[in-house]
Amino acid sequence: MRGFRVTLAAVVLLLMAAIGFSPSAPAAVQEVLVGELLPLTGNFASLGQQYLWAGQTAEDIVNNDYAGLQVPLGPGKGFPSLGGATLKLVVRDDQSRGDLARTLAEQLITVNKVVWLNGDGTSGNTSLLQPVVEGFGIPLSCHPCASPTLTDKGFKWFWRTGPNDRTMVASVFSFLKEWPDHGGPRDLKTIALFSCDNLFCQDNHKIATELATRDGYQIVASLTTKTGATTLASEVQRLQAANPDILFLVQYPPETTVFQADAKRAGWTPKVIATSNGAYSDQTWLVAQRATNGAAGWIGRDPTAIDLASQKPAWKQVNEIYKKYSHGQDMGELAMREITGLLWMADVINRAKSVDPAALARAAEETNMTPEQMIIDYKGIKFDKNHQNELATGVVTQVGWDDQKHTIWPWDLAKRAGYTMIHPNPSWAERDAKPKPR
Amino acid sequence: MTLVLQAVVNGLEMGLVYALVAVGLAIIWGLMEMINFAHGELLMLGMFGAWWFSTTLHLDPLLAIPPVALVMFGVGRLIYTLLMRRVQRGETFAQIFATIGLFFFLQNSAVAAFTSDYRFVEGGLLSRLSGINLHLAGLSVGLPLLIAGALALVLFLALYLLVERTEFGLALQATSEDREAAMLVGIRPQRMFAVAWGLGAALVAVAGAILANFFAAYPQVGFPFTVLAYAIVALGGFGSILGTLLAALLVGVVQSVTVVYLPPAFKDAFVFASYLLIGLLRPQGLFGKF
Repeated sequence: MRGFRVTLAAVVLLLMAAIGFSPSAPAAVQEVLVGELLPLTGNFASLGQQYLWAGQTAEDIVNNDYAGLQVPLGPGKGFPSLGGATLKLVVRDDQSRGDLARTLAEQLITVNKVVWLNGDGTSGNTSLLQPVVEGFGIPLSCHPCASPTLTDKGFKWFWRTGPNDRTMVASVFSFLKEWPDHGGPRDLKTIALFSCDNLFCQDNHKIATELATRDGYQIVASLTTKTGATTLASEVQRLQAANPDILFLVQYPPETTVFQADAKRAGWTPKVIATSNGAYSDQTWLVAQRATNGAAGWIGRDPTAIDLASQKPAWKQVNEIYKKYSHGQDMGELAMREITGLLWMADVINRAKSVDPAALARAAEETNMTPEQMIIDYKGIKFDKNHQNELATGVVTQVGWDDQKHTIWPWDLAKRAGYTMIHPNPSWAERDAKPKPR
Repeated sequence: MTLVLQAVVNGLEMGLVYALVAVGLAIIWGLMEMINFAHGELLMLGMFGAWWFSTTLHLDPLLAIPPVALVMFGVGRLIYTLLMRRVQRGETFAQIFATIGLFFFLQNSAVAAFTSDYRFVEGGLLSRLSGINLHLAGLSVGLPLLIAGALALVLFLALYLLVERTEFGLALQATSEDREAAMLVGIRPQRMFAVAWGLGAALVAVAGAILANFFAAYPQVGFPFTVLAYAIVALGGFGSILGTLLAALLVGVVQSVTVVYLPPAFKDAFVFASYLLIGLLRPQGLFGKF
């Protein structure tokens, strides 16, 4: 009898091992539900729609077999380690409102039972989500969010693969500092800072103030305006009166458009317009500039050398998938950041072999992704103690007369890009006179 | 001093643009006393209308004004007939919630139809003139905004004459003041309300068609203008066309001059502070009557 029991126990153990028995056995998961909380309407809708298209692209890549695509979970269908379970994004629109985002986050976690929350794509609203998600103990990610405070707070469940503003604004100032040694102007002495007023804007403003002071620029004007401005004529007047060599501009697309109109009316163009995210990262704004040459000569920071990254076969293939959802629009850098982050998330889920939060967190912490697996040219993905990707990089680009971004810093990448910079920033009359790219 | 004077000029120019936006609301809210929180969405439709004309038919967006006005007149009437006529019988709150619902419906429909991309009209007369300024006594006046301002003045004059000097205008005023008495003299109030909504929608859509030359068209563009339009109509005095115009100019100047001296964050704060101040001294607004 004792021998029978031992044999029975051994058989049961063997069977359990064979089917990989665990509380979250792969066979038990048919669909991996990920909450995608986005600003699809309201002030940030133009950003939200790009994140949605990026999400649909990532979902498509994971769930379908793209044999030759060298990104995580490109080849094969679904999550191999979860028995081919598919990725399902549960999309919710928070109307660009932080309070609604919090409510929807709770709903997604408690009612929809999502195992991961991605969103909301803007730093201010994401900062409101963090404490909620931290309480529930599931992973939260926001890859295009750039405010350093999101990771500085040391939340256990928040992850960001994209670079933060400290990295990216520093890139702009490194470029400006090193530019004279690479044939750039030596007469840039004064700077004006003009930004919007939410968390992302204030962080940028603060970092730029610190760096400008450190690098010896005289700050001749420092203005902050609220989003939703119908006119910026007086702000432009003040900036014009301050006559800075460099304008550091951080505004969302609608306000940037108003600024452009008012600056044109005032006939004012500083020698350099340097921007940080906001409109400069918004592909819809960039595309719209083709009609007016409005962005030609503008300098900005990007997480990737988009002109070089777009030469990668994987980038081209992912872009074709993205265009299925974006009404033919190419991926901008925001979409690239989001897709990279979502494919990293898929890789984490696959490596975790489970949707258990602790297993997901462990797999996320163990991440060591190499650049070859990405459509963006980060040096890799590896997290510091605050879950900020320490290998995320910043580059500086300039919009050319072709309305495309060209890498101008770091210098080795700039050399590879082979672009001749526009300087000084063209006047409005010159923009009008030049042929417009279509 | 030049800085301040230039700010005043900028403010007056912008004020005329605000007047253009507020004029439709002056009819619906100011004159007919019906609330319309979807006012900015009608503006947005006007902007998209002009954009569609200029990109599809390759016409100057200014030429889109008559067809846009005509279509939006119909839309306004339809909104009244299908929605507002019914909620008008109930509490004011019903109007508030109905037009907030309309606000979301129109905005989200625009997102579905056009996406949230920013659309710019190209090659129109006003776009081509952008950057051209007239210089008077050391002050610079933007020509395109000046033309838009002149159009606003023409619209105001036409509206003033319509409301104050025609039988139709008097019928509108009579309906607003006492619906039953108006009925006794043969006025059909519901027809008057429907026409007022049509007129209001057409006017704000015309404003949209002009504004499309200066601002990007996108589904959320209307809201900041709606907020200002409400302040302007209340400030000018309910039912006063002239008051609306002057209040719009005042708002433009207050916004503009404030920023010359104070952080831009105070810009709208001072606009609404002006409203509070005038509200304390003249609760009926600058030119309103009790």
